[in-house]
Amino acid sequence: MGVDAFANWLRDAANTLHENAAYLTELDSAIGDADHGSNMDRGFTAVVALLDETTFETPDELMKKAGMTLVSKVGGASGPLYGTFFLRLGTALAGVEITPATVGEALKAGVGGILARGKAELNDKTMYDAWAPALDAYDEAVAGGSDLGGALVAAAEAAAKGRDATIPLVARKGRASYLGERSAGHQDPGATSTTLLLESAARTLG
Amino acid sequence: MVSHSRALADAALGLAAEMVAEDNRPVIAVAAGLDETTFGTDAAAVAEAIAAADSPDGVLVLLDLGSAVLSAELALEFVDPEIAERVVLSSAPLVEGLVAAVVTASTGASLQAVADEAKRGLLGKQDHLGDVPTPSATVATDNEQSVEVLVSNEHGLHARPAARLVALVNSFDASVTLTDLDTGRGPIDAGSLSMVATLNAQQGHRLRVGASGPQADEALDAVRVLAEQAFGDLPAGALPQPVLRGGSGLDVAIGPAIVWDTAIDLSTYQRADAATEASNSETARTAAIAELAQVQRETTARVGAAEAGIFEAQAALLADPAQLREITAAIDRGASAPEAWSQTLDDLAKTVESLDDPYQRERAQDVRSVRDRVLRLLTGTESAEPPADGVLVVRELDAATAAILDAERIAGIAIRATGTTGHGVIVARSRGIPLITGIGDVQVPLGSVVAFDARANSFMVDPDEEAFRTTIRERTAEREQALATADHPAVTTDGRVVPVMANVGSVQDARDARGADGSGLVRTEVLFGDRRTAPTTAEQAEVFRKIAAAFEGKPITIRTWDIGGDKPLPFLPQAAEANPFLGERGLRVFRHRPELLRDQLQAVREVALETPVQVMFPMVTTAEEVAWGIEILDALGPQPAGLKVGIMVEVPAAALRIDSLALGLDFVSIGTNDLTQYTTAADRTNTAVAALADGLDPAVLLLIDHVVRHVPTGVHVAVCGDLASDPSAAALLVGLGVHELSAVGPQIPLVKARIRRISFEYARHTAAEALTQSSAADVRYLLGAVS
Repeated sequence: MGVDAFANWLRDAANTLHENAAYLTELDSAIGDADHGSNMDRGFTAVVALLDETTFETPDELMKKAGMTLVSKVGGASGPLYGTFFLRLGTALAGVEITPATVGEALKAGVGGILARGKAELNDKTMYDAWAPALDAYDEAVAGGSDLGGALVAAAEAAAKGRDATIPLVARKGRASYLGERSAGHQDPGATSTTLLLESAARTLG
Repeated sequence: MVSHSRALADAALGLAAEMVAEDNRPVIAVAAGLDETTFGTDAAAVAEAIAAADSPDGVLVLLDLGSAVLSAELALEFVDPEIAERVVLSSAPLVEGLVAAVVTASTGASLQAVADEAKRGLLGKQDHLGDVPTPSATVATDNEQSVEVLVSNEHGLHARPAARLVALVNSFDASVTLTDLDTGRGPIDAGSLSMVATLNAQQGHRLRVGASGPQADEALDAVRVLAEQAFGDLPAGALPQPVLRGGSGLDVAIGPAIVWDTAIDLSTYQRADAATEASNSETARTAAIAELAQVQRETTARVGAAEAGIFEAQAALLADPAQLREITAAIDRGASAPEAWSQTLDDLAKTVESLDDPYQRERAQDVRSVRDRVLRLLTGTESAEPPADGVLVVRELDAATAAILDAERIAGIAIRATGTTGHGVIVARSRGIPLITGIGDVQVPLGSVVAFDARANSFMVDPDEEAFRTTIRERTAEREQALATADHPAVTTDGRVVPVMANVGSVQDARDARGADGSGLVRTEVLFGDRRTAPTTAEQAEVFRKIAAAFEGKPITIRTWDIGGDKPLPFLPQAAEANPFLGERGLRVFRHRPELLRDQLQAVREVALETPVQVMFPMVTTAEEVAWGIEILDALGPQPAGLKVGIMVEVPAAALRIDSLALGLDFVSIGTNDLTQYTTAADRTNTAVAALADGLDPAVLLLIDHVVRHVPTGVHVAVCGDLASDPSAAALLVGLGVHELSAVGPQIPLVKARIRRISFEYARHTAAEALTQSSAADVRYLLGAVS
């Protein structure tokens, strides 16, 4: 699998995020500053522009450049968070053969970056609540002999469950944490966009 | 500075930049917003900003919220690891932290010190609002030397003066502490802006400044000097108090007129393109600042640091960003540099002149002085040699001119404008140069000889020179003799003792009054005239104590707030009146603000427990008003044994019914200035009718005579108006039977000397004759005074 598959992932993710931009913003307006959809859309639109302008030789190069683009263009907290994710993902993919295992390691490295940056824990009502079960499900699937596509599908399904599980949680990180108890009853926008990204990966990297 | 919003960052930066002069400012780089209007942070931009601000001293990053923190952390992964090591990400509040950091960094403090200071940025606000328990931040004061300074700034030790103090303190190898003696707060670290903010030292508060370390002495000296200059706040409020030190006391001068016209000819100036004009403007501005620094150094040596502070204030005006923006804008619109400076500073002078406070109004002259300096530099007009060998006649006297005059070679200064608290007047007086103000538009032909006698308030063109020279000789001899015997009592040749007291408007006046038998008039509205908020009872008592101490326990006569007319008080604004001199003045004002009177009387009572004090109510007309004032006083408790109570007699109605008005009082004090203007219905500040308002008018003397004859038995009669400061008029007052006189400080020795030369019998005879004269001029002739 080469750089094109990863480029397709980003293009597909950009489409999905664009289509869901209003939805994400609506989720964010309930407990945040009502910009998650437009921020992600702006960031990934810039990533698509990057893909149109530049030819990348390797997935790691592409992932790192996409990460930097997100860092500069997203604006909100998801900029440095997703930016770091793609930067670390890219770094982990450098010089390795793309296999379910190496992609798993890279995903872990990326999520490690999110954790280092956001200092979130499970059940803080953040994107990590989607990432954590997704990583577990991915590993489990790979251990069970699943290919990359299968593992990503499992990961996306787990992420969706994690996303839904954020609804009753009280936010402890980010702008939503200012709301305290009032943040309960709303789905976390970050966990939602994470799920969209993984669903997109399952569609394109399989 | 990392923020979601470019506008927020720019505004915060503007706020912080205002605190520190541009050349002392640290490098401040901004990473804010995704663009001008889109909120967001960009880690790459933050990394660039860090690199831009980086130096071996390190970088402090201040952030707003959310992604700003994440982006800043991420940015540290982008920058060179060697740079990242010397970057501190601060949890300080953005605005307060930035202000504290910029100020602290401007002093050359270390990154750690700057970061600590930023983190304490909220302390001042928390302490003020009291919504968060603030940690005790007092510091040890072991092995300290200390001095006491006064906060004279109108708004207290607010942000900018505090910043100057902190910068100064940090420039010494010493640890400096501050304690507010009025509130008991402190000691706190004077090198920390946030800690100075928690002190919340208000105007009038006394601070104990402590210092230890190798440069403790130097640091204390420097802080003392800064405090004397109102912590660098002079431009707005100017000198903390009008320092009216007496000059030579001769108040008389004669010599060739030197008409000093400061108007600068702009007609020959050739306007160039805007860029050239801007550059000319900047060159002149820089040169003017350098000149002022030179004048300041010379004045410090020649006159004193306090007076020299005026030039620092003038230099500050040349660096005022608001004015500079106006000037730049005017040049951009097509004005020449001289036009731009002229318009801008003229506008400012007009604004200053429209202020309510006459003391503030006179600051306009400083603005014009700065304007002329720049215009002279722009047009290449030679700086004229300081005039000498004659009497200088000027429209107004600016401080720079007053400071450069050769006091040995200038006979005197005659000023057309009225007003006695301008900086120029203050400087000239303190240099002992005779001067007269308010001569108006008298024609002074080129080459004429002029003379003035400020004591007689007369200015003459082509006077009787011999008479004037005789007066000068007499005054000189008289003064020398009088000073030698100033401390002796004033006793007439036939044994009548006349206490001669001093009129004071500041503690310094009290200290400067030589030979005074106490104070017959403490002008409380002048003592606290620069206050924006009413002084507390404790603050007033403290100042009264200092005045009493200066008179070494001799009695002091405190006049309750005498405001209205030409004397507004900033903390007691009054509605505009069609005829203020006939409106709410003196005691009248307090019928609807009794609490202010009550606070003052409480202070009077406190001090009266310790030292002899007399208190008097100004501007009373009816017995009912007197009774009201006394009722307020009595309601505060039993009268202290050392307290005597009286009234001012300034209204003819009060003089005419003194028998009933003064019943039960200890004393009355005649204010001859107001009594004269109310008796003659003439305003002495109006040159058209000023001649009518002559205190020697027999009608005024008849009223004084009436008061002396009809005052209830045992009630003392004093005079504290200008008449008592004129030695021959003072002798006349003694002859009228007045028991006590109160004069301006420098005149006291002269008044005493005159009284010692006369017999009471002779004075009574002269006074009786004066009462029968038909005009002030006749009375003056009778007294043999120069007129």
